Amino acid sequence: MRKLILMALITAVCWFAVDSANASELKVPQNAVAGQPISIGLGGNGDGTLYLIGQGQVIKRNVKLGNDVEIKGEELRSAGRWIAVLRAGGTSQSQVFWVKPGPPENLSFLARPSRVPVHQQSAISGTVFLFDKFNNWVLQPTPVNFNLSVNGSGVSRAVTSRDGVAWIETSSAPREGAAQFVASVGSASVRRVIQQVASQPCNLRMHVSQRTQSRIIVETDPVRDCTGNAVPDGTIVTFTQNDKSGKSTVDARIRKGIAKAELPASDNAMISVAAGYTLGNELHVGGR
Amino acid sequence: MRATRILVLSLGIALAISGVAPLLMRTLADSRPSIEVNFDHTGPREVEDTTQKAINRDYSSAWQAITTALNNNDPAPLRQNFAGFALDQLVQRVKDQQSSGVKTRIIDHGHKVDAIFYSKDGSAMQLRDTASIETQVLEGNTVIHSDQSQIQYFAVMTSAEDRWKLRVLESSPEK
Repeated sequence: MRKLILMALITAVCWFAVDSANASELKVPQNAVAGQPISIGLGGNGDGTLYLIGQGQVIKRNVKLGNDVEIKGEELRSAGRWIAVLRAGGTSQSQVFWVKPGPPENLSFLARPSRVPVHQQSAISGTVFLFDKFNNWVLQPTPVNFNLSVNGSGVSRAVTSRDGVAWIETSSAPREGAAQFVASVGSASVRRVIQQVASQPCNLRMHVSQRTQSRIIVETDPVRDCTGNAVPDGTIVTFTQNDKSGKSTVDARIRKGIAKAELPASDNAMISVAAGYTLGNELHVGGR
Repeated sequence: MRATRILVLSLGIALAISGVAPLLMRTLADSRPSIEVNFDHTGPREVEDTTQKAINRDYSSAWQAITTALNNNDPAPLRQNFAGFALDQLVQRVKDQQSSGVKTRIIDHGHKVDAIFYSKDGSAMQLRDTASIETQVLEGNTVIHSDQSQIQYFAVMTSAEDRWKLRVLESSPEK
């Protein structure tokens, strides 16, 4: 009886040992990075199918248990949460593992606005999203350099990304021109152009350039903004004449830097000039 | 006689339940997941009321599209709600699922979302989402993997012609 029990026990132990040896096992990588090769350990004997399911891809392999499966770097493109499922002998085993994005190689750069008046506080914003070469979003803090310059002079600032985003807000330069707005990380850089244009007219002044019996011609001095940039041709300047016969208004466009208007002759009139919200000087024409 | 009546009635109820249950499950699977978005700490720009409503609606709709697309191996629902890298990745996932003979069933138990960045020009918003998700991987009709977990996602939504579209979506281990 004892021998019988002993034999049964030995048989059970052997059975368990064989079963354990054949049982499939799955060992997933702990520090996988997109674009770098990984190895997945498969225990047991026999054949099986391995599925690797990531956010942006699925890899399927027919495998021999007992061997490690190598996944090449160029195959492992998607970062984030992955599920490894091993199917063998009608059963399945699965494990979750994480793949980190590779180093940043691509930038998505939103620069606003495309056209801005000079010398405006916090008028320009730049936002950068960082991606690796497979367009996985790089969430690790990374220093991003922003440079905004017009004709070689400008501002430069380094901002460390937070949760994959780096952004700055800056003022426009005092001088007009095409500003080069560049965001860079390592060797990757993206350039945007922001056209900085003259701001509102400043110190708007006019004078009478010609006066006849039937008309008065008034013209402005060269129209500039407060930092000396010429206000673009085409900007409207309004001349208004008030006299006993009423009010006359002329909207004139700036041409070659100055605006000119022809008003009816009057022996006692007040003429004023304005552009946008800027008021210029007043002239008293004729009278006593 | 009474026993026969009860038996027939019970059979009828059982038949009705067996017919309605899969329909109900499918309806629930296709319905929009519950999304709670917190806009209290969004910067540098404050989020307008209409934008808050739109983000709630469109982020929820995007997750509904993921669920439907991965469950049916059909990329069509993705195109209305996604753009850019997120669209490319998910369409690739669907294609790979088709060629591998698997599909993914997502049972979405809800999302707690913080809007953490809203660009100065109002064109892009970043979200941090803690999603309670049950994921089942099916080979044919056999479930070969099932897990239920809280997964942290980061997302970027950008304003498009008539809605906000999900442009970047990435899962990340919780910090």
